Amino acid sequence: MVRIKYVKKLEDLQENVIKMGNSAMRSIDDITKALKTNDSTLAKKVITNDDEIDKLDKLIESQCMSLLALEQPMAGDLRVIATSLKMITDLERIGDNAQDIAEEMLVMDRPIRVAVSEEMFDEMLRNVRSMVADSIKTYAQGDVEKARTFKSRDDDIDSLYKQLVNDFLNTVADGSCPPESVRDIASIIFIIRYLERIADHAVNIGCRVIYMVEGERRYLR
Amino acid sequence: MDKKIKISVKDLNLYFGSFQALKHITMDIPEHEVTALIGPSGCGKSTFVKTLNRMNDLVDGVKITGEVNYNGINLLDRNTDVVALRKEIGMVFQKPNPFPKSIYDNIAYGPRVHGIHDKKRLDEIVERSLKHAALWDEVSDRLHESALRLSGGQQQRLCIARLLAVGPDVLLMDEPCSALDPIATAKIEDLIWELKQEYTIIIVTHNMQQAARVSQSTAFFLLGEMIEFSPTVDLFERPKDSRTEDYVTGKFG
Repeated sequence: MVRIKYVKKLEDLQENVIKMGNSAMRSIDDITKALKTNDSTLAKKVITNDDEIDKLDKLIESQCMSLLALEQPMAGDLRVIATSLKMITDLERIGDNAQDIAEEMLVMDRPIRVAVSEEMFDEMLRNVRSMVADSIKTYAQGDVEKARTFKSRDDDIDSLYKQLVNDFLNTVADGSCPPESVRDIASIIFIIRYLERIADHAVNIGCRVIYMVEGERRYLR
Repeated sequence: MDKKIKISVKDLNLYFGSFQALKHITMDIPEHEVTALIGPSGCGKSTFVKTLNRMNDLVDGVKITGEVNYNGINLLDRNTDVVALRKEIGMVFQKPNPFPKSIYDNIAYGPRVHGIHDKKRLDEIVERSLKHAALWDEVSDRLHESALRLSGGQQQRLCIARLLAVGPDVLLMDEPCSALDPIATAKIEDLIWELKQEYTIIIVTHNMQQAARVSQSTAFFLLGEMIEFSPTVDLFERPKDSRTEDYVTGKFG
């Protein structure tokens, strides 16, 4: 095989993207657990973990620019680099959104006593977590079929988001929410919004993977 | 919108003795565009280009079948006036080959051969051709100096000007920048970009980045076959054939 050094650089790049994906995934796992167990220590860990994600973002961008400048990649290799360059922005935002959720958690007084479905909230957490995990897998495995499922899964998350926000707002409107919990309701709505945005970033990753593998640009949202 | 086709090649086969150098080539070359031909050494791209102006006729034992249709006629027909053809479809080679004459006489040579002897007219042709080849400003004050005193890049632009002086329609360029430094190469590439507005250009190049920079369509040749012919951006971003992918990513062999 020729261009051994170049092939190794491409492999290193992809490994780092997966590493960044795994780091973002850890943040998602930790914040999910923190929300369920009201664990503020874990929430603080999510905030500090964001530094690792940001460092990888800069490293990977630098690797991409170096490959573009020095190796003149073409075809499939060029699409891998272009995809990686776009994808790290989404992963970095996923990390930021997880951090935002942690920060909201830390200012809340828990528990909140309102009649809104905890099951629906748990379902949203599970679905978002699963989409992020799958988005990283689609990149690692080039799985376009899995990437093509992201639109309908995101639609389900969007429905849950709208329903939950509506239900929480109704508790304020109809007076069933105690006045001292209104601030926390706002925080929960922000959290749900960040979760919905995390899912959107996973969909973006899916689009980029389809382009990487097939060379066609698809907009799944 | 459909492109206007300048040269239409149909099932072109070429043999040097028993060796088949070109195999079933079919492609339509668009007008007023730069078409690049890429591929490894010995793949047939220079042989293909030389077929378009019947330069291969000069090789003993060559046999060519198929059609090369240009302006409604098949160039391969035995009745084709190859001198007139080479005026219409001119060629620039890898190594600049100025005649051992003055700059002026290099450019005026072709028009004189075609019967133009009026000095005023020749002066106009020389100036126009040198301007067209982006060389006039550098040589206008020394037209009667030897062309051999020019730099490599200037000599190549002189060869292009010499070609333009006879009023061609199609320009064939066989690795025109291989012998040139990066700055001279950049000047030729800029010139190619300008010239395509008036001419149809076919360029053979080993330099894929050059093909990517200057051309609108690119054909990949391999072992005498044309494997893929696409808009340049598509061929280099998402080639259809795995052999093209292997070549453009440099993982060939």
